[in-house]
Amino acid sequence: MPVRVGIPRALLYYYYFPLWKEFLERLGAEVVVSDRTTKGILTRGVQHCVDEACLPVKLAFGHVQNLVDKGVDFIFLPRMVSVAHREYICPKFLGFPDMVKQNITGLPTVLDTAINQRKKQRDIHQFTRQVGAALGKGPIQSWLAFQRAWETHQKYMGLLEQGLLPEEAMSVLAGKEPKQTADNTDLTVAVIGHPYNIYDPFISMNLINRLRKSGARVLTADNLTEQMVNQGVKRLPKKLFWTLSRRMTGGAFNYHDQGKVDGIIHVAAFACGPDSMTGELIERFIRREGKVPFMNINLDEHTGEAGIVTRLEAFLDMVRWRRTAV
Amino acid sequence: MKGYLGIDVGSVSTNIVFMDEDTNVLESLYLRTNGQPVVAVQRGLKQISEKLPPHTVVRGVGTTGSGRQLTGIVVGADAIKNEITAHAVAASHLVPGVQTVLEIGGQDSKIIILRNGVVTDFAMNTVCAAGTGSFLDQQASRLNIAIEEFGDIALRGKTPVRIAGRCAVFAESDMIHKQQMGFNLEDILAGLCEALVRNYLNNVGKGKEILGPVVFQGGVAANAGMRRAFERAIGMEVHVPKYFNVMGAVGAALLARDAVSRGVPTRFKGFGVADLEYKAGSFECDGCPNLCEVIEMAEAGRVIARWGDRCGKWSNALAAGNCS
Repeated sequence: MPVRVGIPRALLYYYYFPLWKEFLERLGAEVVVSDRTTKGILTRGVQHCVDEACLPVKLAFGHVQNLVDKGVDFIFLPRMVSVAHREYICPKFLGFPDMVKQNITGLPTVLDTAINQRKKQRDIHQFTRQVGAALGKGPIQSWLAFQRAWETHQKYMGLLEQGLLPEEAMSVLAGKEPKQTADNTDLTVAVIGHPYNIYDPFISMNLINRLRKSGARVLTADNLTEQMVNQGVKRLPKKLFWTLSRRMTGGAFNYHDQGKVDGIIHVAAFACGPDSMTGELIERFIRREGKVPFMNINLDEHTGEAGIVTRLEAFLDMVRWRRTAV
Repeated sequence: MKGYLGIDVGSVSTNIVFMDEDTNVLESLYLRTNGQPVVAVQRGLKQISEKLPPHTVVRGVGTTGSGRQLTGIVVGADAIKNEITAHAVAASHLVPGVQTVLEIGGQDSKIIILRNGVVTDFAMNTVCAAGTGSFLDQQASRLNIAIEEFGDIALRGKTPVRIAGRCAVFAESDMIHKQQMGFNLEDILAGLCEALVRNYLNNVGKGKEILGPVVFQGGVAANAGMRRAFERAIGMEVHVPKYFNVMGAVGAALLARDAVSRGVPTRFKGFGVADLEYKAGSFECDGCPNLCEVIEMAEAGRVIARWGDRCGKWSNALAAGNCS
């Protein structure tokens, strides 16, 4: 029987799930994903996590718990230090495997091999070798498994760049027909935020679907190529060394500069340090030019939807009103 | 007579206006919601129907405010709009050329920026309700003064005391401290107004370009002390429109007029809804771990609406008509 490796449907799941899945399966594992976020998962996460952590980390705790319940043999929590030259992932990701090990009892083995490509891109192979060894595979087989998985990842990125959102792209990769998005949209809105906030319908209070239902086409920073993101971020006087913040900021600026969107919504999680900075940065640059309407939305544990509904409605009214006035 | 009804159901007050076809506000009502939105709406409809001449025809109804969905179902609304749009529509209609709307209500405060009659930007206070009407209410009752007198007392303050306005809890302890030090009430209240305005401009008005004409509306605009504090802080005249406390309802009526202007008949169920029995209840759905709190609205014993379920299992069942 193959070993069962659990991946939480949280944090960088929306970027790397196809890559991790293929990689682990080629190493002979069966991949188990935690269930979709529910009130129950979030509540358990909040109970077990340190109170100063941000909402996404608390939620990820709940997903790890969910995997523990499923009785997996391993939980895959790579220690994400850096995925790009001279850049970092948020330090909470770096410490996440340790937080989990300290606070959750009854854990199976945690695969917390570090990914640190800050110096060299090829440092990833240290990671592939170690994960392979943990699953009883040799270095060459691990390397080959990762190469194949990387091809899938490239395909996944390609689908995102065509305008699909992660869940849609994943179902296309799984061989399903892409869902036809309705044509009854009259405007385009860029939703800028960390993938684990905007793509989780529970946490974002269904933000993307609400926009779509109200007649807006939704684009995110992940629908842009790396080159476009870097083009956008060029207007900043200094390099942003948080990879995710660079993507969000660059994405917002690119959409703004290309005039491809009618409005930009920035989604921040309460208690997220980088969000409070990048949100401000994006807002200032965009307001300075005053061309594209901008709104900031803060997410936290509350499940009352009235606040978000009011803001989204008012934002779309404003965008439409502004357009008819020109 | 023919006209339009606008209903704004907020956390603190429920306001209703009746507007004739030339958009003149004929009747307006300001009632306390007291946590019972449906009862407040029913009471309001009854009062306003008694004030209106017999044979008045309601051509359209609009609802706004945090209770807009609920009320929209109860009365049969033609336009259900968020309060930001409603306030902006009302302000630009009553004060042509307005460029900035400052609005402070019971639980929320907002700033709306208009340019050439179009909303170009807005902001609402975030999770904290510091600096809104309910905080002023609470402080007035703690000091044992009527909220209606608050503004006039604050106006008499010559040297406003510096009070921390960032957080309602800090503001309160700061006020108590200043009281115990012997500052007089006028100066403390004037200082509180300045602190709230400072917090508002800092928090809600952050980075917005405030240009005149500036309109100050919402229940708190009744407070002359707040108005003066705003004028001092931004160095501009602040205009308080005649219907400042029912502006949301005025906007809703205007939006209703717009909604039925294309020959659509109104969905208004008539003033009779004031006498029907409405019952709201809720239950926790145990169909999945989301445990949604589903709210159910019954009109004379018949369920007319459900909401609050994430998956649509309950609300759609009703829309499809296969539910008792």
